Amino acid sequence: MTALIQLSGITKVLKGQEEPRTILDGVNLDVHAGESVAIVGRSGSGKSTLLSVLGLFDRADQGSYILTGDDISRLPERKAAKLRSSHFGFVFQRFFLLKHLTAAQNVAMALVNGQGWLPRRQRRAKVMQALEEVGIAHLAKNRPTRMSGGEQQRVAIARALVREPRILLADEPTGALDTETGALVIDALQAVTARDCALILVTHDRDHAARMGRVMHLEAGVLHDRTGVSA
Amino acid sequence: MRMSGRGRSALIIGLQGIRARKTRTLLSMVSLFLGVLAVVVVQAGASIAERALLSDLELYEGVDGTVVMDMGGTSPRLGSIVTSTVAGRSDAVAMTSMQAVIGEPGVRPVNEGGAPFDGSWGDPGPPMECDETGCRELPAAEVQPKGQAIEVRLTALTGNVRQFRPYRPQAGEWLDFAAMPSLGPRLVLNKEAAKGFQQYRVPAEMRVPGASANMTPHFVGVVDDGDQQPRAYVRLDELSHWVPENKLVDPNMGEVRVLMVAGTPVEQVLSTKLKAVGVEPMVRTVNSKKDMADQLSLMRLVFLAMAGLVLLIGVAGILNVGLATVGERVEEFALRRAVGTPRALLAGIVLAETLITGLLTAALAIGVSALALKGVVAFAGTSQPFLQGMQFPWEAGVAGVIAGLVAGVLGGFIPAIRAAGIPIATVMRA
Repeated sequence: MTALIQLSGITKVLKGQEEPRTILDGVNLDVHAGESVAIVGRSGSGKSTLLSVLGLFDRADQGSYILTGDDISRLPERKAAKLRSSHFGFVFQRFFLLKHLTAAQNVAMALVNGQGWLPRRQRRAKVMQALEEVGIAHLAKNRPTRMSGGEQQRVAIARALVREPRILLADEPTGALDTETGALVIDALQAVTARDCALILVTHDRDHAARMGRVMHLEAGVLHDRTGVSA
Repeated sequence: MRMSGRGRSALIIGLQGIRARKTRTLLSMVSLFLGVLAVVVVQAGASIAERALLSDLELYEGVDGTVVMDMGGTSPRLGSIVTSTVAGRSDAVAMTSMQAVIGEPGVRPVNEGGAPFDGSWGDPGPPMECDETGCRELPAAEVQPKGQAIEVRLTALTGNVRQFRPYRPQAGEWLDFAAMPSLGPRLVLNKEAAKGFQQYRVPAEMRVPGASANMTPHFVGVVDDGDQQPRAYVRLDELSHWVPENKLVDPNMGEVRVLMVAGTPVEQVLSTKLKAVGVEPMVRTVNSKKDMADQLSLMRLVFLAMAGLVLLIGVAGILNVGLATVGERVEEFALRRAVGTPRALLAGIVLAETLITGLLTAALAIGVSALALKGVVAFAGTSQPFLQGMQFPWEAGVAGVIAGLVAGVLGGFIPAIRAAGIPIATVMRA
């Protein structure tokens, strides 16, 4: 089966400092549809940089990035934005919900992004479906300030899912939550693999990593497969 | 016309942004308000000034497009040629003026020479006597004493001249050209003449040079004709009961003028007839609006430049608020980019917000100006005739909207570029 994502020899060097620092050093990674992958590593090991490259926020200095069979290593920003909209969903440690919008409006933000246009009724139906999927449809009209951290993160997950992405990238999504709520959020994230969406989770939490299909360890810019290796 | 998906997205997000930051939007509007108001007021002022000047000019020049034919020469047949060609026509009116004295016979009028009653013409000089051969100073022995008489310029009309010169009715009625001509000539006075007859009580006896007898005039109305000289208007056919056709033109101070609509055959027929008797007519078309626009355009430009400066201060305000807002929304814009919003749309969102702010300000400035004008019309409309029925000039509304849009674009341009350049990694590093 062809991989959804194929990274080979991805290198990223941080310039602009006294000594250029290699953050990613020839990273290779294949991710298939419906697969869940955890990326773990110490702070500053380059996990977020790898996620930036995967999510087309940033470009690798070397190496190739194949997405669904197409080489997107040198994609112009306009096309990258289109791919981010159509293929990726993002969940961050901080939820990044806009306080002045309701939960439904925050989710709809991913639909009102200039990449195609959905009439209001269809938009609302999709938003409600995404909120239902993460179990908070009843909070659709609430503003983030009236929600708990777990609820806010679920809204963020609904926002990531509303465009039915093929890859969900989560950067420490439980970092700001307590253990119990964090577990619920991981449940919600893992549920997306059931519909052939790949999940790539960057985390410090070994328990959450262990729940993923594969665990990759990033150390000194090099990615190692640690699936099944206990701490 | 339907907006594109991006346009609609920019509008929706822009409106959400404005709703979320009402105070900031209000502050931007406050800084912009004076600038837009200045543009609206200058434009409205220029339109109103043009109308005011034009309305006075129309009284003695005629409405734009009127063809005016003036006759030179002293042909004795001039009067009969003009009246026979023009009489009874609705597309042309002939007017001929002569001296007339109303009041006690055998005395000099109080305003000798047809002067205004406020003495603004100064010393009228020695009394003169005029006939077909010219004017001479009267010997002292023949000079009559001043008495109860008023001298006016009497303008005889072949038809309703108000279609060309919209004299403003002040009292009574205008001459009725549809009715049978009256034996006693009916006169409509202008404001200055009416003032004279209010000041001086004179017998109702009118003397016109060349008339077969003195007449008893009937005053039927008063109009504002914009003339400072006392003047009376009369139907030519009523006057001709008393004054023969060849005497209808004063050989010394006679004015014969025909006002007509453009394209009427009267112009060619009359010119041909007049040339045949050696009179060279001078024809021109009234185009006051254009002449005045040239004069007003420079003044308007100067004021608009001043208004533009005030607007620039407003733009600086909107720019300042815009930059501060973008600085506060870095994460929001980075997040929007992360979910696939193109840079151009981010710029569009910021521009949409400033444009909406500019348009709201324009609407407010236009509303305030329109209300102020309404107040001025209600307060001073009776004393200033040109203000009567005055509506807010649409040009001022258009200028206000354009000023609002321009301010929105100028004030939003740099914040829009900043917003478009925010790196997505901002959300990763947060």
